Amino acid sequence: MIQLHNVSMAYQQDASALNNVNLKIGKGEFVFLTGPSGAGKTTLLRLLYGALAPNRGQVLIDGQNISRLPASQIPYLRRSVGVVFQDFKLLQNRTVFENVAITLEVLGWGKADIGKKVMHILKQMGIESKYSLTPQRLSGGEQQRVALARALVNDPKILLADEPTGNLDDANKNQILSIFKEANVRGTTVVVATHDRRLIEQSHKRLVVLNKGEIVEQMEKGKNGDDQAL
Amino acid sequence: MNRWKKEKTATIKPYKRPTLSGDGFGGRFGYFVARAITNIRQNIFVNVVTVGTITIALLIVSLFLLVFINLEGAVENWSERVQVTVYFDKELTTSEQSVFRDKILALPGALRVGYVSRDEALKRFKNRLRGQETLLEGVRSDVLPSSFEIALKRASRETESVETFVSALKRIPGITEVQYGEEWVRRFNSFLSFVRLMGVLVGGFLVIAVLFIVSNTIKLTIYARRDELEVMALVGATRFFIKAPFLLEGLLQGLAGSTISIALLFGLYEGFLHNADSFLTFNPVTSGLGFLPLEYIVGIFVSGAVLGFVGSFTSLRRFINV
Repeated sequence: MIQLHNVSMAYQQDASALNNVNLKIGKGEFVFLTGPSGAGKTTLLRLLYGALAPNRGQVLIDGQNISRLPASQIPYLRRSVGVVFQDFKLLQNRTVFENVAITLEVLGWGKADIGKKVMHILKQMGIESKYSLTPQRLSGGEQQRVALARALVNDPKILLADEPTGNLDDANKNQILSIFKEANVRGTTVVVATHDRRLIEQSHKRLVVLNKGEIVEQMEKGKNGDDQAL
Repeated sequence: MNRWKKEKTATIKPYKRPTLSGDGFGGRFGYFVARAITNIRQNIFVNVVTVGTITIALLIVSLFLLVFINLEGAVENWSERVQVTVYFDKELTTSEQSVFRDKILALPGALRVGYVSRDEALKRFKNRLRGQETLLEGVRSDVLPSSFEIALKRASRETESVETFVSALKRIPGITEVQYGEEWVRRFNSFLSFVRLMGVLVGGFLVIAVLFIVSNTIKLTIYARRDELEVMALVGATRFFIKAPFLLEGLLQGLAGSTISIALLFGLYEGFLHNADSFLTFNPVTSGLGFLPLEYIVGIFVSGAVLGFVGSFTSLRRFINV
């Protein structure tokens, strides 16, 4: 589903954000990216939704090289990739419903279908009663669930999350994590960048550790929590 | 081309979608209009600021235009006084008159020709000296010359054109004495050029200032909503899809601004300017100021719309490369 071949990326000449990274993530996998700040987690995610193009190497999504994708094609890539962030990126002057509906409006869905589908996903997220509120009237956990609803409402093949629980308390973290897992069970490939050790340990999923732009460790976590180095 | 077909041919396979109620250009257009109106409602403050700026900007420019057009019109009317006179030291017979008349009217630039006989000249002279008629006692009409008074076409009232006309006039056999108030014509024309130059300079300066202020206001209002652009791009909206509602919004803002500014201008005009003749007697013929001609009003509407649209277009270009 996702493949990186010898990917290097530098924002300026001297500082390299990613250095010769090779990574393969299969269809339906759930992967945590971790590492200290500045390790290159966010850069890696940005490559995957076409916000950046690598200086060197190839990024393949579904067998297609997106590193040289023309700007006009990037929107079509993003329709199959959902993204959530630490700061949620919700539109403050629109209601919860409208925030989620954007995704489907972009795809050209009709009003009636949008209504049904948005209410359905809000129900899954447990926030259907808040549909008419604006984001500033919601708690952090609820806002992140709105952001997740927006990312998942069109059943994307890939879900990317950049520090999704960074602003949340433990109860909310667990809820968000279970939403990721549900989406994963339904077939969505999930990549979560975080340095929240507890989140990683709780979930028993594959772990990719980045440091200074390089992959320094990869572990497949078994059900029993034993580390299995790849 | 239909958007959906375009998506089908895209390199990345688009997501299937259910019933496409808003499909085709018409459906999309409907969506964009609805989106633009919702955006205006949801960002009412930003919209009021933009419309207000466009209104004030256009009001300043149109007020300037109103004054300038009236001033120029008045000055142009003075140019009616540019007149060339041909003197004859004898009375012309009717046939001589018509020969000269035809020859003069055949010259490029001639508008009207009027013959002033010696008797007519004396009558005018007496009129001018009303109350002191005794001065003219014993004066007979044959001491005065007869003459042709020639009015020139508007385009031929500039100094060089008048001189060209006069030298052509002098080449007609039988015409020797020509007067046209060289000094007055020269001064009048340099005044007219001065008025026009000032108009262009002040107007140009105003237009540049207005463009600067309006484009920056629009840029700031779009900057304030850059998260909207970012989110749209994030969920896979094409550039056109992101831009279209903003451009429509800009167009509507421009039209609203120009409508309000013309209404305000008309209010100002009705309230103060139309009877300003008491202290602004530019034009003794029509007296008072005229309102802007229709083509200028249409021009202000169009420039409002263009201002809103182009302002949004250029600002968006700066922010959409997410």
